[in-house]
Amino acid sequence: MAGIWVYSEDNIVEQQLLTIGRSLADSLEEPLVAINIMEDNSLDLILRGADRVIVIEGNSVLPESYAKPIAEIAGKERPTTFLIGGTLRGKEVAAKIAAYLSVGLVNSALSIKVIDGNLETERIMYGGLAICTEILAPVSIVTIEPRTYDAAQGDPSRTGKTEKITVEVEEIVKVGNVCPIIKQGADITTAEKIICVGRGLAKQADMKLAQDLADKLGAEIGCTRSVAEDYHWLPNETYIGLSGQKVKPQLYISMGVSGQVQHTAGIRDSKIIVAIDTNENAPIFSAADYGIVGDLYDIVPLLTEKIVK
Amino acid sequence: MANIIACYKWVLDEQDIKITAGSLALDTGRAKSKISEYDKNAIEEAVLQAEKCDAMVTSLTFGNSKAKQSIKDALSRGPAKAYWVNDAAADIADGFVTANVLTAAIKKIGEYDVILFGEGSADTYGQQVGPRVATLLGIPVITFVAEITITGNSVTATRKIGDCTEVVTAEFPVAITVLPEINKPRIPSLKQVLGAAKKPSTELSMADLGLATDDITPKNKVKSIKGFVMNRKNIMYKDGTPEEKVNALIASLTKEGAL
Repeated sequence: MAGIWVYSEDNIVEQQLLTIGRSLADSLEEPLVAINIMEDNSLDLILRGADRVIVIEGNSVLPESYAKPIAEIAGKERPTTFLIGGTLRGKEVAAKIAAYLSVGLVNSALSIKVIDGNLETERIMYGGLAICTEILAPVSIVTIEPRTYDAAQGDPSRTGKTEKITVEVEEIVKVGNVCPIIKQGADITTAEKIICVGRGLAKQADMKLAQDLADKLGAEIGCTRSVAEDYHWLPNETYIGLSGQKVKPQLYISMGVSGQVQHTAGIRDSKIIVAIDTNENAPIFSAADYGIVGDLYDIVPLLTEKIVK
Repeated sequence: MANIIACYKWVLDEQDIKITAGSLALDTGRAKSKISEYDKNAIEEAVLQAEKCDAMVTSLTFGNSKAKQSIKDALSRGPAKAYWVNDAAADIADGFVTANVLTAAIKKIGEYDVILFGEGSADTYGQQVGPRVATLLGIPVITFVAEITITGNSVTATRKIGDCTEVVTAEFPVAITVLPEINKPRIPSLKQVLGAAKKPSTELSMADLGLATDDITPKNKVKSIKGFVMNRKNIMYKDGTPEEKVNALIASLTKEGAL
């Protein structure tokens, strides 16, 4: 009864992990164990599916510094798999725990399933070009990015055990200034509609074309990596792709985006993908549901004009 | 003088990889290799920091025999010397194996104050080797760093982690993983490329590192690596006037209820 373990420093992400964790625990007939640091959310975690919650109380406010105590507890109980929320903090913690325990780590798993009694994960390789399927060895750690699964719903009839462990955390880094990143637009990761701007746009002033279309549709504006990093036309947190934001809107419309795999890896969960580009051989068209081959300077204003609000 | 080690991976250029129709197998036959993009940022940052604080930069890689070609490229980017662990085990290495090998090599190199890594590699993007190596060495790690300042024996780094930035300070020795936005890697000049050939490089074998078979055996079993296919409708409007194409698109999107 080694168990399926879940952990995230972010409560919402941990609720999402409980969804997949509960399903794996049921198919493998193992208990679902949730790790909780810094504040006690055990009741909520139990109502949402955990059979047991281990609350770790320590003296550090930096979630990353709990990797060692979490690894020590996991090392004693050796869970079948340990799902960790794939936030950036979570990925650091996951890599440290994997190193302490000398076990494998699959980061950003797209899925985790029981197949022939083994756990199998799928993840992206080569910037979105390929999918790698791995059969997990025992005690493997898997990170799952936020919003991969919906949050588990609470059921007031559920019961479970809570245990508290107090640890002394060794702080080997000092954290100074913590500043929220002020987003200049809304969060594109949760936007229902997205207009994505690529290098096909000739100059920054032409961003107005995208803005007009976005205003008409009630969409948010995202971009490709070079538009943010090389041209600085939009903030870095609006670039979409494997190393940037992964989006899942109902409607994604690209203008002047060629569609390198690193970009399309970030839009694969979109419901409908529309591409507008002059080059009919651009890879974006093979990733699109609908494509218009044409000059975005002709097409986009017409589209803005003809869409009925 | 501070010692900075920049780690990099010699990877297949994903732009050259083709997907075989039907089987979805990857055809890497015509793929050239390159220093992983994010690791170019790590090398560049090591060199930029060394210019400011009088440090010695060493590059380090773990690769198969073909990774020898990478040394000249790495050195032309500014490091003073290069180390290369040559073993075919690199071909199937996971983060566990790579971290074990790099950690052993770093101990062999002996002197290190700052160890730089890219946040992930361009091929597997495993995003774990930096913090794993730090943990094995028992030193602090600062991940996802957008800015570094070295003062005396301490490093102050600005992390960018989702919705906030965080300024973190640690004493030497420290491992750091860098974000692509930290710098723009140089394009080496002809003089730098020619100069690279004269810089010292050291080849290490697995035997030099004293690792057991378990240490270089990947943990999880790779079942398959297949081309990813997006199943999309691929309806194209390419003929007609812009107006006709826009009308056709709007009709389709309206039918889908997407507008």
